[in-house]
Amino acid sequence: MLSRLPSTGVHADYDGSFPQKSMAALWALWAVFWLLMIGVSIEDQLRDPLTRWWEPILTEGSSALVSTGWMWLAVRVRGRHARYLDKPLIWFASYLRWLPLIFITWITAVYTIRHGVYATVGRTYAHPGWGFVVVYESLKLTYITGLWLGVLFGIDSYGQWQLQWRRLLQTQKALAEAQLAQLQGQLRPHFLFNALNTVSALMHTDVTRADRLVAALGDLLRISLRSNEHEMTPLAEELRTLELYAGIMHERFRDRVALDWQIDRTVLDIPVPALLLQPLLENVFKHGVERTVTPVRIHIGAHRESGSLEIVVSNSGSMLAPEHRDGVGFRNCRERLDIIYGNAASLLVCNEGDGVVARVSIPLAEALP
Amino acid sequence: MIRAVIADDEAPAREKLERWVAEQPGMAVVGSAEDGLSAAQCIERLRPDVAFLDVQMPTLSGLQVAAQLEPSSAPLIVFVTAFDEHAVNAFDLNAIDYLLKPYDRDRFARTVQRVRERLRTHESGAAAVAIGRAQATSCERLLVPDGERLQLIDTASVEWLEADDNYVHVHTAARSYLLRRTLQDLLSQLGEQRFVRIHKSTAVNLGSIGSLTPLFKGDHEIHLRNGRILRLSRRYRDALFARMGR
Repeated sequence: MLSRLPSTGVHADYDGSFPQKSMAALWALWAVFWLLMIGVSIEDQLRDPLTRWWEPILTEGSSALVSTGWMWLAVRVRGRHARYLDKPLIWFASYLRWLPLIFITWITAVYTIRHGVYATVGRTYAHPGWGFVVVYESLKLTYITGLWLGVLFGIDSYGQWQLQWRRLLQTQKALAEAQLAQLQGQLRPHFLFNALNTVSALMHTDVTRADRLVAALGDLLRISLRSNEHEMTPLAEELRTLELYAGIMHERFRDRVALDWQIDRTVLDIPVPALLLQPLLENVFKHGVERTVTPVRIHIGAHRESGSLEIVVSNSGSMLAPEHRDGVGFRNCRERLDIIYGNAASLLVCNEGDGVVARVSIPLAEALP
Repeated sequence: MIRAVIADDEAPAREKLERWVAEQPGMAVVGSAEDGLSAAQCIERLRPDVAFLDVQMPTLSGLQVAAQLEPSSAPLIVFVTAFDEHAVNAFDLNAIDYLLKPYDRDRFARTVQRVRERLRTHESGAAAVAIGRAQATSCERLLVPDGERLQLIDTASVEWLEADDNYVHVHTAARSYLLRRTLQDLLSQLGEQRFVRIHKSTAVNLGSIGSLTPLFKGDHEIHLRNGRILRLSRRYRDALFARMGR
C-alpha cells in the first residue's frame, strides 16, 4: 500500500539556494566588524608610544584574514545545513563540532603570520606563554564564532522563509489558475449549452437517457466545485471525472467516438493532483472529435512503471500540426506537475501512429527521495 | 412548400431540428448534413428555401458555409449555435435569424414564423452571406465544383482568376475550376489579403507573380511563376504597385 504523498511536500524540503542580496549584507557586516576591530586597536596604539603604527593592523589584520577563510567555508557549506534551519540546535551543533579544528588551525595560522612579519622586519613578536594564548584565543574564537553563526542563522532563516513563502504563493497561484481553467473548462459555455441541448433533444425521444445525462452533468459540476478544496485526489476520483465528461461527450457525438479504458487496478489509490487530467481529454475532443466526422478512438490508460505512475490519453485520427504550440491546458498541467514534483514528473505530447498521445508520468511516493 | 436543409454535426441536435421542422405545416426537410462541406453540397444541389446551419461544425463552420454562397441566390439562413457571443452580437446587429441552443418550441416557432415572412417578401440570404464573410475574416479555403461534387481547395493554391460573363475560372497549378460567380463577388469573399485585380476580367494571387515587364502607355506584362503572361492594365497598376510595395 502506498502512502499518500503529502500535499505540502513542496514546502517541507529546504532549498540549498539563497537570495544573493542577503549574502552581500552578510559580507558587508563582516567587513564593518573587522574594520571596527582594527580601528579600536589602532586607537589603543595611539596611547601607547612603544608600539609602531603597523603593529595593531598586523594583529587584527591577521585575525581578520584567517577568520575570513573560515567564514567563507561556513558560507559555502550552508546549503547543506539549510534543511536544519527549523531545528536550530542541530544547525548550530553541526557547525560547532568543527570548533576544535578551528582553534588549532586559527591559532597556528595567525601566530605564524605574526611571527613571520615581525621576523622580516627584524623584531620579535612578544606574546604571553603558549598555554595562555591557546586558552585565551579559544575563548575569544568561541565567542566570535557563536556571534557570527547567530548572524548567519538569522540571515539564512530569513532567506529560506522568503523562498518558501514565494513558492507557497506560486503553488497557490498555479492551483487557483488550474481551478479557474478547469471551472471555465467544465462550465465552458460551449460545453454546457451543447450538453443542455442534447438533453433537450433526448427528452423527446428517450427520457431515461435524458435523465441519466442530466445526472452526469450534475455530478460533473459537483466534482469540479468540490475539487477546489483538495490539491491531491486518488486516481480513481480523477478517472471518475473523466468518465462523466466522456459520457456526456459520447451522448453528443454518439458513434463518432469510441472510448477504451485500460486501467491497472492497483494504481487506483495513488494520489494525483486534482483536476490534472480533464484538460487532456478536453483537448482530444476539441482537436480530435469536433474537427472531423470520421470516428475517433480514444484510449485512456494508467499503469505502474518502475517507480512512477504512467497515465496515457491518446486519440486516433488527428495529428499535432508541425508548428503546434501547447495550449493553456497543457501549459497549466505542466506547471502544476513542476511545482508539486519538480523534475520528477513530466507531461509529453507527441504524434504517434495515426494520432496524438499525451503521457503523464508521476513519481510514486515510495520512489521519492 | 418550404424546403429546408439542416446541418449539425451532433446527431441528437440534428434529429431534434429535423423532427421539429418536419412537424411544421408547409415545411419539409429535403436534406441534412453533418459537416460544413456536405451542408454546402446540399445547398448547391437542392437549392432549398431555408438552411439551418450549426455554427460549430467540422470542415466548414456554419458561418464559413454562408461565406461561400453567392449572395443573390443564397437561401435564407438560420444560424444555430450553443454559444458564440461574438457571432450572436453580429447576428443581432444585422437582423439575421438565429436559434440559441437549447431552444424550446416557442422560440423555434417564432424563428420559423420570421422565416415564412421573409420568404413571402422574397428576401434572400444575402445578409447571412455578408455576416459569414465578415466573421470568417480570412478565407483560407475555397469551395469549388468538381464534377457533381463540391470540394475545398486552399486559397493559397489559386494562382489567378479569370472572369467569363457570370462565371469565374479559378486557376490552380494543377487544374482550373469553373464557378458560377462574378469576379467581384468572389474577390469580396476571398478578401484583399492575397488577391489583387489586374484587369477588368482578371485578378492574380500576389504570391504567384514572378516578374513585371513594362509595355507602352503604362501597361505591363505580368509573368507568373508558372510561365503564364497576364496583362496589367493601367487602371489597376497603381493599386498593384502599392500592394507589392513599389
